Amino acid sequence: MAAGLASKWSRVGRSLLGGLGNNLSNLLTTSHEMACNNSLSQQQRTFIQMRTVLKVVDNSGAKKVMCIQALKGKKGARLGDTIVASVKEAHPNGKVKKGKVVYGVVVRAAMQRGRCDGSEVKFDDNAVVLVDKQGQPIGTRVFGPVPHELRKKKHVKILTLAGHIA
Amino acid sequence: MRMKKCWFCSSTIYPGHGIQFVRNDVKIFRFCRSKCHKNFKMKRNPRKVKWTKAYRRLHGKDMTQDSTFEFERKRNRPERYDRNVTENTLKAIKTIDKVRSRREAKHIERRKKGKKAQQTIEAVKELEQSISLVKAPAFLRVDPSLTLPKIMVKVSQGQESQSQRMEE
Repeated sequence: MAAGLASKWSRVGRSLLGGLGNNLSNLLTTSHEMACNNSLSQQQRTFIQMRTVLKVVDNSGAKKVMCIQALKGKKGARLGDTIVASVKEAHPNGKVKKGKVVYGVVVRAAMQRGRCDGSEVKFDDNAVVLVDKQGQPIGTRVFGPVPHELRKKKHVKILTLAGHIA
Repeated sequence: MRMKKCWFCSSTIYPGHGIQFVRNDVKIFRFCRSKCHKNFKMKRNPRKVKWTKAYRRLHGKDMTQDSTFEFERKRNRPERYDRNVTENTLKAIKTIDKVRSRREAKHIERRKKGKKAQQTIEAVKELEQSISLVKAPAFLRVDPSLTLPKIMVKVSQGQESQSQRMEE
């Protein structure tokens, strides 16, 4: 959460500087960005919370989805949790349309999750599979790797649809 | 439970250590510690990073081919559990480890020893050929005033050859 706030503040700061001026502060912004890059070259990956945009990896019709609420979890959702989301971008003819409120299961998270053998897994991006209220996936295919943390969370249908289980 | 190898430095990853990164093309990268992980994030090629096993094998610093490596190959055939086989395997692991480490140490020792014999030969050759770099050729040339002129002395057959040799 603190890391999330920190990233938010840096975003705010950069936008302020951008809004300030043109030529003079252009130099300032570039130097500030460079300094930011040097110090924050290791990106701090955090939870999936409100306003997080996730990629949809099934064929339900949606492409991008923004998290509204993370069910369970004070700080946010992690790998394997369900979220409530709003569809921001969708395929023209799909089962879900833009603006619809849907439930989703996080199948890939950039933040590492601990496994019971002590190791940690992390993925390349944040991805979600849309489900209905009962937990059954809306789409019929799932793309990309899927963790086997879903088995414990009883999302067996998604595991069967998945191409690869990480 | 399985001991995996770190993608970057090729060391073994014991259970409870390291981070596993799954890329979207379903390639799994395992790292033994954050040092390797951070180097990976910097997009460094392990074949160019000096302390990794990949570099050492590539540049001949460490042993590459040996029969002891055959024992460690992954076999995908499950073996039926047999207590004796398990016991013997565990004992064998220890001895194979010992043999392998001894061979690796010897390889490194041989590499470090250097080529003394070849170096002495080269040194002698260099001394003959390039002595002019150190001493002036005039100094090396024999002074005619110092040597005695060659005199032909008529002696009997055997003694003639002997005296000629002595004159030289």
